[in-house]
Amino acid sequence: MEERVILLVEDNPDDIELIRLAFKRNRISDEVVVASDGVEAQDYLFETGANSKLRTLPTVIFLDLKLPKVDGLEVLRRIRADKRTELLPVVILTSSIEEQDLINSYKLGANSYVRKPVDFNKFVEAVRELGIYWLLLNEPPPLGKMGK
Amino acid sequence: MNRHSSIRKRVAPMKTKKELLLEIEDLRTRLGEAEETLRAIRRSENLTEPNRAEEALRESEERFRKIFEGGPLGMAIVGLDYRFVKVNAMLCQMLGYTEQELTKLNVPDIVFPGDIDAGLKFYKQLLGGEIPTFQIEKRNIKKDKEKIWINLTVSLIRDQRGAPLSFLAMIEDITKRKHWERALQQRSSELEAANKELEAFSYSVSHDLRAPLRGIDGFSLALLEDYADRLDEKGRDYLSRVRGNAQKMSELIEAMLNLSRLTRWELKRETVDLSKLAKAIASELQKRQPERQMEFIIAEGATVDGDAEMLRVVLENVLSNAWKFTAKHPTARIEFGVTQKDGKIVYFVRDDGAGFDMAYVDKLFGAFQRLHRITEFPGIGIGLATIQRIIHRHGGFTWAEGEVEKGATFYFSL
Repeated sequence: MEERVILLVEDNPDDIELIRLAFKRNRISDEVVVASDGVEAQDYLFETGANSKLRTLPTVIFLDLKLPKVDGLEVLRRIRADKRTELLPVVILTSSIEEQDLINSYKLGANSYVRKPVDFNKFVEAVRELGIYWLLLNEPPPLGKMGK
Repeated sequence: MNRHSSIRKRVAPMKTKKELLLEIEDLRTRLGEAEETLRAIRRSENLTEPNRAEEALRESEERFRKIFEGGPLGMAIVGLDYRFVKVNAMLCQMLGYTEQELTKLNVPDIVFPGDIDAGLKFYKQLLGGEIPTFQIEKRNIKKDKEKIWINLTVSLIRDQRGAPLSFLAMIEDITKRKHWERALQQRSSELEAANKELEAFSYSVSHDLRAPLRGIDGFSLALLEDYADRLDEKGRDYLSRVRGNAQKMSELIEAMLNLSRLTRWELKRETVDLSKLAKAIASELQKRQPERQMEFIIAEGATVDGDAEMLRVVLENVLSNAWKFTAKHPTARIEFGVTQKDGKIVYFVRDDGAGFDMAYVDKLFGAFQRLHRITEFPGIGIGLATIQRIIHRHGGFTWAEGEVEKGATFYFSL
């Protein structure tokens, strides 16, 4: 079976651990690649050559908005601007429900916007539903045919 | 005889022809004299006309002199070479010079160096006939070197043939006004900065304060579930309390955020039917707890001018409060009505529930203030603070009356 990767762009180590825990509880076994700021996310997606860690494009990207260096919206803008990644499903996973963040995210082409619940039970439930939807139910774009 | 003759005098005596001719001649002479007098009067009027014009000119000059010398504005007649020809007392006082000193100076001598060119440009346009008059705000320098702001209006005086004679300048001291303008401007930009800061703060609250809470709640639950075998009953209880507190704090943050959003919301005024709204909310409450025995009395036709969305929040909060605080009574009554206070229309929601002690009425509308134990009635104490903020934004007032176990009434005006 083809190897599947989830890219998690998240700077808060606690949130990273909580998401890992939530994946575990939901028996989502796909490999989770973590980029802890916008620059790392871009390096992972766009860096080519011998050092490139990118073996396969992620099935889905979970993207936090408030990130050090390059923020989430900018990462999203660059993902959509690049032929190789423009069709990748991007789910905004953030604490903010500021109207401006919602508007900007959808304007820049986010596929979904989920606010992280404080209650961990609800958080696990949200991750479960995201997993079912984006890893099982949703038909991903034909990545092989994406331009290079 | 005498008597006879006296009788005869009463009737008009018959005139002889000669007498009549004399009389006509006499009348002709008098007519001629009258015509001559009339002509003389007409002549004399013509003769006195130049005198009257002179009089009018004198009057006009007198008026001008009075305005010039005693008027509330600084005034000056300025030569075409920008020399002060004539200045009034007000201008001297404004600039701190005597009349003798000032009439030895040129306009640029008393203007703030940075403002000289701008003024001269207008004087030249005026002289060239490009503009009929001009008005500018600029800075002048007093004799004691103090800077004042003035509002200057200048027009050109021409002689009878239309050739430029001199400038007439009117000067108003606007230093105080400028001072207030600057202060106002500073206050506005400070306010704007404060608002921006508040917005950034709200954003930070919504984003940054929630993340640690998620950690506290998540790892507590992970401990409870994944390490349950290594915890005793008390340990598990404590971890549950940690989670409960994290969730409570999350609720508080949410409520604070909503409250700050209310302040930033744009108020849209339209006609709102409060009676209709109250009925809809009442039936919604009843639907949620159909087992409760509640009598709603809702006054008809309470229409107001306000923001529909915000006023819905107000009624929802007041009616839910009434619903909540009557929960311990087997039957209860909630009334929405209209009354008057000091000639203003006032709306109220009255219940016959738990009520409150008037000694604590001041605390009622504060954010996160509660008058009842959380175990008696749930809630975080944000409802009335929200109401008050909305009503204040509408320019109205809120207040409350209550008595323990007799009920509470909440009033608001718009």
